[in-house]
Amino acid sequence: MNKKVISALLCGAMVLGCAAPVMAADKAGDGQKIALVGKSAGNAFFEIAAKAFKETAEAEGATVDVVYPEAATADAQIKVLDNLISQQPDAICISANDVNALQAKLEEAMDAGIKVSSFDSAPNKDSRQVFVNQAGTQAVGQALMDAVLDISGGEGQFAILSATSQSANQNAWIDAMKSIMEGDEKYSKLELVEVAYGDDEPQKSTDQTAALLQNYPDLKVICAPTTVGIAAAAKYLQDNESACKLTGLGLPSEMQEYTGDDDAHSCPYFYLWDMEGLGKLSAYATMALVKGDITGAVDETFTAGDMGEFTITTADDEGTEIVLGEPLQFTPDNVADYAKLY
Amino acid sequence: MAGKSGRSINNVPESPVKKMIFSWEGILVLLFIAVNIFCAMFSEYYNMSSLLRQMPVYLAEVFMMLPMAYILVLGEIDISVGAIVCLSATMSCIVCNTNAPFIVVVITALGVGTICGAINGFILTKFQELPPMIVTLATQIIFRGISEIVLGSGGSISASNTDGFRAIGGKVGDIPYILFLVVILSVIFAVILGKSTFGRRVYAIGTNRLTAYYSGVHVQKIRFIIYTIMGTVSGLCALFLVSSSYGANTTTGNGFEMDAIAMAVFGGISSTGGKGNIAGGFISAFIIVCLRVGLGQRNVNAQVILLIIGVLLIAAVALPNIIGNAKKALSMKKN
Amino acid sequence: MEKKSVMKKITGSREALLAIVLIVLFVIITAINPSFLTPKSLMDMLKNNAVTMVMSLGMLCVMLVGGIDISIMSTLALSGMSIGMLLKYEHISSTFLAFVIAIAIGIVCGAVVGLIISRADVPPIIATMGFMYIYRALGYQVSHGGEWASAAALGNFKNFATTKFLGLNCVIWVIIVCYVFFFWFMKWTRTGRMIYAVGSNPSAAEVSGINVKNIKLLVYTIMGLLAGLGGALQVSVYASAMPDMQYGGEMDVIAACVIGGVSMNGGRGTVVGALLGSLILATIAKALPLIPFFNQLWLNTIKGVIILVVVVMNVILQRIADKNALKGREM
Repeated sequence: MNKKVISALLCGAMVLGCAAPVMAADKAGDGQKIALVGKSAGNAFFEIAAKAFKETAEAEGATVDVVYPEAATADAQIKVLDNLISQQPDAICISANDVNALQAKLEEAMDAGIKVSSFDSAPNKDSRQVFVNQAGTQAVGQALMDAVLDISGGEGQFAILSATSQSANQNAWIDAMKSIMEGDEKYSKLELVEVAYGDDEPQKSTDQTAALLQNYPDLKVICAPTTVGIAAAAKYLQDNESACKLTGLGLPSEMQEYTGDDDAHSCPYFYLWDMEGLGKLSAYATMALVKGDITGAVDETFTAGDMGEFTITTADDEGTEIVLGEPLQFTPDNVADYAKLY
Repeated sequence: MAGKSGRSINNVPESPVKKMIFSWEGILVLLFIAVNIFCAMFSEYYNMSSLLRQMPVYLAEVFMMLPMAYILVLGEIDISVGAIVCLSATMSCIVCNTNAPFIVVVITALGVGTICGAINGFILTKFQELPPMIVTLATQIIFRGISEIVLGSGGSISASNTDGFRAIGGKVGDIPYILFLVVILSVIFAVILGKSTFGRRVYAIGTNRLTAYYSGVHVQKIRFIIYTIMGTVSGLCALFLVSSSYGANTTTGNGFEMDAIAMAVFGGISSTGGKGNIAGGFISAFIIVCLRVGLGQRNVNAQVILLIIGVLLIAAVALPNIIGNAKKALSMKKN
Repeated sequence: MEKKSVMKKITGSREALLAIVLIVLFVIITAINPSFLTPKSLMDMLKNNAVTMVMSLGMLCVMLVGGIDISIMSTLALSGMSIGMLLKYEHISSTFLAFVIAIAIGIVCGAVVGLIISRADVPPIIATMGFMYIYRALGYQVSHGGEWASAAALGNFKNFATTKFLGLNCVIWVIIVCYVFFFWFMKWTRTGRMIYAVGSNPSAAEVSGINVKNIKLLVYTIMGLLAGLGGALQVSVYASAMPDMQYGGEMDVIAACVIGGVSMNGGRGTVVGALLGSLILATIAKALPLIPFFNQLWLNTIKGVIILVVVVMNVILQRIADKNALKGREM
């Protein structure tokens, strides 16, 4: 299926190329060789972005290799990067398993003339040229805090169920939530009782959810900013017909069963970002890097196909980033449609 | 009287040359050549310089194979080594960030590793009834748990002063220092296991612990020493691992125990104890490294690479047995 | 037979010692957080640990013949992922059929492992390490390289884990049925006793007419069967199938057996021991988040320490028991 789409696109590209040589020269990624490095194989979440990335870049004439490390560790990604440096692609776009550990290899890659962009999860500022951020950290924190405020009815206890205590993305969002909560009077009646970690395992997330309910019988909302955690918590709350409600970041297809406004469903609404858009934007940003349209410095702008113009801004870690946009909200009305996509 | 070969196809070889070719090590050498030819044909990027450049990360794991071979010869297993690597890497980064001289960092890495190994050894010798697998499983959780606590939220640390780590990651010409170290250590470990009294005693314990005990071998002392050295070498591995990542995190060293065991077993070291030598482990380590580099360079799916290694592992042990059984059946028919 | 005092009976039996450990754990946890000892909380605990509990029965059989199997969670992922994908693409819809397919896949996987180990004399740890990689890779292939089967895709299948039968959740019934069956099987059937015989002394078993190779094949097939069942349970309980599920979970199953007094050299271990061992692990997992004064970061370390303490305590108590037994002997 996948191959057919790609070959169809390639055929289309070839026809266009023959018909209008001027247009072909305008292509953003002509002849470029790009490697996309994921966090680990078997992650449905990442697959969507990777597919969009590949289709976008190949439509522009580039070739894309999607490579996964053998395990979700930085060690395994180092080996993948070593392999890629041998192949000398034009660019590497990576979702990093660890903030710091890839610095040595990514610097080596950049020294060898390979452009390095990243998306989804950023390596530190010295190891990348630009980071494509799915949604600003503040924006995610704000959306989640407002959801908690709304669902709880403005007051009461809430808890956070995160991935592992080391997950960089989750920690950044939780910190943003905490600072937003302190900064505004309207959150003063909310009480964050605990940040629990389910390690992105269904079993442990279920235990943690049960423990939260047992420890805090008055708990009104659980906020789970992680896809595995939110699905496990949603199932537990729904099966037990708990009065405690849920929000957070999740995949529509995983959450479809649990999303609803009534008491029979555990999650009124939740968020995620446009994973396809993230893949597309990352593809355009990476191609622009290779072509020399951007260098990854602040205030540079580039055009991402039909997505419009984007500007590079300063990231929280003082590196540079391109922000895709606001997080998407999934409600009972639209979750079924999105569930077909991802 | 070098170390006994783990497997052999032919039970009564006639000449020394034939003996060498038909020994498991001989077959491994042939396999090593075959794998290299295959990789060179499979991957256009596979050459001496790319191999030497990519090798250091894998070589850090080859270190671990050496003492692991001793433990396997004892008939035991240590699955905590990946966690020891994690803890030593974490501690050495922390010490490094206090601006301590690099020698202190080295001592920290080796020291933490040694202490962890000694803890394993202490528990296993004090409570000899306990299976090593379960004790090292518990210490694995504990060692990694301690680095989780030390690293705190964020779970990652980067070494601020990387000069020392860059230095040990250096090269003579194209050849990285670590390759020399691996060769030197392999020779030392091989000589001790194959030629010294200590090595003979290790084999004795692995063959029959009780008999070894009654013939005056200090079984517990030897076990303690080996587990401690396993820890020290894990610390060494951590040091070189940090030199390729300038940092440590809670997943550092994850799965190294399995890689080290796979290399050793593929090299003919029996997991039931008493058999095998370092030479086999050494060659098989390089077979696995070359195969991984070669397949990886063409972006073969990582799961497929693991599948191939899994098949190789089973075939390496099963085939000689099957051939041996068939031969036995054949000779029985003749009689 | 001479009459033993109650005290001696307790210190003489491994299972009784374990039961005491478990009761002590229960008392401590309940004292800290009374909500632990409520029927609902306990049922949650059983349901959430069903996979480990059921599979430790298979591991018991494997360890009784002196083997070990670390490929089980890959088998679980392969069978669970297979039925997940079958349900997702609507090739099947019946819950019963899904269970049958998962178990069948498990049996085939286990039998292949058993054949390699029994017929080609490959040491169990090596053979199962190889199959750990192989079955996991197959699991990824089945999932088309990383698709998940989520709650909505699983149709009626996920309801199995929420349905109650005679007041008890179906998953808990599965656990009970498995344990009762194995208790009978290991104690009162010829085959069950043969497994013990092979583990205690393979040569003696061989001489007395037991086909050691077939028994070995059998235990790995049983292990595979339970791993397949575990796969179906996992998908049903969490209403989600992912190719990397239960990664590394085999160690929990092995730990449950060893804590339960199953010897890694073979021949020693009981179904009750496996039950108590897996219950102790389940209790630790359930209770740690309930204890308020532990920092979340410390949980793993504490889990490791508890496992170590339990196995060491077991050895110490056993030594005391052995000493007492010696005292009673007339010289």
